[in-house]
Amino acid sequence: MTHECRKLEETFLHAYVDGEFGAEESAEVQAHLAECAECTHAVRLHQSYKAAMLRANVAAPHLVYEDVRDHLMDQPVHGRWARAFQRPSAIAIAAACAGAAIWFLAGGLSHPLLSRHSLIEDGVAIHARALPLDYSASDPRSAQKWLEGKLDFGVRLPRFAQGPRLQGVRLSSVHQRQAAVVTYSLPQADGRRVSLLIVDDPEPQLPGAARRIADREVWLSRAKGFNIASWRNDEIVYSLISDLDEKDVLALVQSAEMR
Amino acid sequence: MLDFKHTDRTRREFEGLSLEHLDALYSAGLRLTKNERDAEDLVQDTFLRAFRFFDKFERGTNMKAWLFKILTNTFINKYRRRVKERTVVEGAAREAGNERFVTREPTESSADPEQYFFDKLLSDDVIRSIDQLPIDFRLVVILADLQEFSYKEIAEILDCPVGTVMSRLYRGRKLLQKNLLGYAVASGVVQGKQALEISVAVEEEEALEVLEFKRRA
Repeated sequence: MTHECRKLEETFLHAYVDGEFGAEESAEVQAHLAECAECTHAVRLHQSYKAAMLRANVAAPHLVYEDVRDHLMDQPVHGRWARAFQRPSAIAIAAACAGAAIWFLAGGLSHPLLSRHSLIEDGVAIHARALPLDYSASDPRSAQKWLEGKLDFGVRLPRFAQGPRLQGVRLSSVHQRQAAVVTYSLPQADGRRVSLLIVDDPEPQLPGAARRIADREVWLSRAKGFNIASWRNDEIVYSLISDLDEKDVLALVQSAEMR
Repeated sequence: MLDFKHTDRTRREFEGLSLEHLDALYSAGLRLTKNERDAEDLVQDTFLRAFRFFDKFERGTNMKAWLFKILTNTFINKYRRRVKERTVVEGAAREAGNERFVTREPTESSADPEQYFFDKLLSDDVIRSIDQLPIDFRLVVILADLQEFSYKEIAEILDCPVGTVMSRLYRGRKLLQKNLLGYAVASGVVQGKQALEISVAVEEEEALEVLEFKRRA
């Protein structure tokens, strides 16, 4: 191939290397390349250029990944509601929900404004990091036994009727207080992780809004995209931390037996 | 017993489709904004916008291209001015940074006669060369050569004709390769008399074949 030809063909050859041609066109180009050293050269050169460019890609730092997920968790599910309100029946349902919400606010909540509480924030940070377990166990009794004598307060691992599977326990500390973090996974929710933070917190006020569930005073709050349900048992504070919906968290709390 | 299905489903569907493209979006964002902080903000913005408009995404179509359209629009609308301002301030610092390339040790000569000029380049030099491109060329080069989008996809992402994509890509690549040669000469990847020949030839801009420089022992 002459020099003049090569100049004419350059963008064409680039397009070939860029994968712009179908099978038939590619076969034609290949047939030409087989007998033209100069074009083969141009193709190889462009391939080496492209390979060098690909090497300049970088992976996102892990923190960016976590930040993106955290921010997404804080987002309301927008499109869903927009779509829902296009249907008249949905408006009636929404009105009923609004009524229920008013009832809930009037009766159920003693503290509608969520108070900040560092215990919860620390708990959420511990949950989010998924640190390794100190003791792996699927049987609550063996975990209970392992915990005995390791903390300066008595712990009772709750029994859940069904659902959460115990993974194990980790010893931790929250605000210089000893704490146990019990990890569960939920098979019915794609194995999502639920942490139960157990700490002897003398603070009389638990964070969030109070509700009465199964004869227990349970406090609900949210932090960094996680739902937290806290309750007290023999002075010790138990906080269930997860990214489950509030309703599912409540169902979990309801099924927890503290015996 | 438990119902995990409702509101979280949309979010999980979105995460399932979008998070796998995070590295690509960040990598492109970094070359657009040229600094990590802005790249992080840009990626963050892109994901939030995409989630907000997720009901407009046609299921089964190209998620990566859709996310990149949002990324480039967000960049053009919001970050371009900010980045421009910063570039003026940082210009002097970058000039100073270049000097280390002059003193860099020459690369070992390769025994492989088929090794091309581009094979020997350092990623740092490639990155600097991309960063020097004017934004219109940079956008197309990032989409085509870093992200391997097709011409048609790029045309859709940038909302311009395929012909425009092709001409910008050709011109952008030429400019970039010229920048690359400059760095290669400075860093000793290309040396001595040959370097002189190449730099003279590149002034004519047509002579791409000279860029393909095979090292002869």
